[in-house]
Parts: sequence; C-alpha cells; structure tokens
Amino acid sequence: QSPPGKPEILKCRSPDKETFTCWWKPGTDGGLPTNYSLTYVREGDENTYECPDYKTSGPNSCFFSKKYTSIWKIYIITVNATNQMGTTASEPLYVDVTYIVEPEPPRNLSLEVKWPKDRKPYLLIRWSPPNITDLRSGWFTMEYEIRLKSEETDEWEIHFAGQQTQFKIFSLYPGQKYFVQTRCKPDHGYWSRWGQESAIDIPNDFTMKD
Amino acid sequence: LPICPSGDCKMSLQDMFDRLVMLSHYIHSLSSEIFIEFDQRYAQGRGFIAKAINGCHTSSLPTPEDKEQAQQIPPEVLLKLVISLLHAWNDPLYQLVTEVGGIHEAPDGMVSRAKEIEAQIKQLLEGIQKIIGQVHPGANENEIYSVWAQLPSLQAADEESRLFAFYNLLHCLRRDSHKVDNYLKILKCRIVYQNNC
Repeated sequence: QSPPGKPEILKCRSPDKETFTCWWKPGTDGGLPTNYSLTYVREGDENTYECPDYKTSGPNSCFFSKKYTSIWKIYIITVNATNQMGTTASEPLYVDVTYIVEPEPPRNLSLEVKWPKDRKPYLLIRWSPPNITDLRSGWFTMEYEIRLKSEETDEWEIHFAGQQTQFKIFSLYPGQKYFVQTRCKPDHGYWSRWGQESAIDIPNDFTMKD
Repeated sequence: LPICPSGDCKMSLQDMFDRLVMLSHYIHSLSSEIFIEFDQRYAQGRGFIAKAINGCHTSSLPTPEDKEQAQQIPPEVLLKLVISLLHAWNDPLYQLVTEVGGIHEAPDGMVSRAKEIEAQIKQLLEGIQKIIGQVHPGANENEIYSVWAQLPSLQAADEESRLFAFYNLLHCLRRDSHKVDNYLKILKCRIVYQNNC
C-alpha cells in the first residue's frame, strides 16, 4: 500500500464562453480506496475554492456553471488524490476560459436539391447553430465549415461558410449519392467535431434544364 | 482597411460597426499570433504564466468579466471602456515596436506584427470616436487612464526579466484585444440589431 499516484488534468473546454469543464485522469490508487478533489484559485482572488459540481460533466470532471465562470481571468487548477497513505497533487493547469472555447457541432442538417427556373440546379445545405450558444447578443460569434464527398471517393471537399447557416453547391455528379457534414468554431477558439452526417441522392437529370 | 478613406463620407452605423468588428477581430488575431510565437520561442518551461497573474496594467479598469455584466453596462459606458482599453496601449505598443527588434533572434514576423497592431489600433480608435459622435454626440470626455510603467523591465539587462516583461506585455495585449473585439461585437448587436444578431 502506498499514497496515490499523481493525477493528470487532461483538458478544460468551454462550449459557450459562459461555462466550462475540466477533465482529469486518475493516477494509481496505491492499493487503497482513493478520493479525488479539484481545487482552483482565480486571478484577482487570493482564496482557494473547490470544484462546484463534480456530477454534471460525468466521472473525473468538474463543471463550472456561469456563476463560477469569468473570462479574461486565469484559473490555476489542481486535482488532488487522497487515500489513507497520503495525498498527491497534479501539476497545476493555468486556464483562461477565453482561449478554451470549443462549441458543440451544428444541428438540424438538411439537404435539398433545388431547381430554380432558367438557372442551374443546386444542392441547398442548411443547419442550425448548436443549442446552447447565444449568438443573438454578440457575446458569441460563430463560423461554419461544410464538407461533402460522393460515395465514389474517399476525399472530402471542404467549404468555409463564414457566419451563414446555409450553403449552395452547384458542381455535383448527377446520379451519385453524397454525404455531408458541418462543423463550427467561435471567432477565436477551436473547431467543434464534425456533426451528424446526412446523405442525398443527386438525380440523374441534375443538369441545366433546356 | 481604413474606416473612412476620404475622411468625409457618411457611413451608416451598421457599415461602421461591420468595419470596426472586422478590424478588432484582425487585431486580436495578430495579438494572438505574436503571443503564441513568443511563447513557443522564448517562454517554454520558464513558468512565466504563473508570474503574469494580476500583471496587466489595465486590470484596474472596471471591464465586464462575463456576458451578464457586459449586457448590463449602458452602451456609451462600454464604448468608453473600449476607448480606455485602447488608449492604455498607446505607450506600451510604441515601446513594444521599439524594443521587440532587440530580442535575441527576434523573427521579422514578430516585429512587423507589432507595427501592424500599433497602426490598426489607431484606425480602430478613430472609428470608435466616429461612432460615439453618432451614437452619443457631445458625450463628455472624462476617461479612465491606466498607467504603464514596465519600460525599465523591457530594457532590463537581465535576459530573464526582459523576456518576462515581453511575455507579460504580449499576454495582456492578447487579452485586452480579445476584450475589445468581444465588446464591439456585443455593442454592434445591441446598437444596430437591438440584440438580435
């Protein structure tokens, strides 16, 4: 039996620039029941606080709700592992929520072939921003990317859509099935993962009508 | 991207805000790039971030720290805070541009970015003054000033102290430019789109 091994803070991420979560990886338990606690100090405040919520984001995590989240402030975060033989602390992680923003992927992806009168047909791709992000107030600005590929290739074709939530694709092979995904990122932050894939069959007559 | 090339054109508030936000976004991107480059090249393993806490000369400015606070502040007050933040960087940026070239093997990109940031902040200030003139004509000029007194450290003979002074300056510039960008995006949505961006 021995004191616990050193835990490691894996990463911290904020989906909306209003809350954030940190995850850690436990070390060895020294052959004894081991408890974990996360403590933090915030820039401009001398006190040390404990994680406000160990549950919301699942095991080995700490969730900071709006009430506990400031941006443009450095948080010094430490995870402590304790068993009967002693306590071992992780290396501290210095985090400013400003720079750890990674949103959820876009939702409600829809695909539709459009046949405008006297003009080329096109594929209209539409989506919605992730649920929890407030874009109306300007606190959060989102940008999007689309990728699509036909069933006959492994290579994705990527398009940057800026802040739009729809995109038109004109050059497609008639008669082929296409797969489409979207992702998003804040004006300054990380890309989300690619969202749910949708597929559509492009009709054989997908060319300019006479 | 000059805000108003000929100086006399009458731009709509929306166009002005659109240009300002593009500029503030660009300034923050440059500030991020210069910080990340410096951090990777000169700060790895030196523990500078721990020393940088509470180290920004603008931390005394009463700037909002979350969305609710930012939305509760009247627009004209938030605009003036943005101006105070930008004015607080006049001297430090001038010194940064002057001194950054003296860093051991300072990459040209760092020097040119510093100059570009200095120039673009001047443009941004000009544009914001124009907006204040439209949104709150005759607003009184009292402004909160933040003094920057770290020039001696920027010129210190001891390399560790000098490198930390640069690190702290670039860390704070990155932070404050993000604040300015965020506040201007909020103000645009409030003033131009009535909180319905």
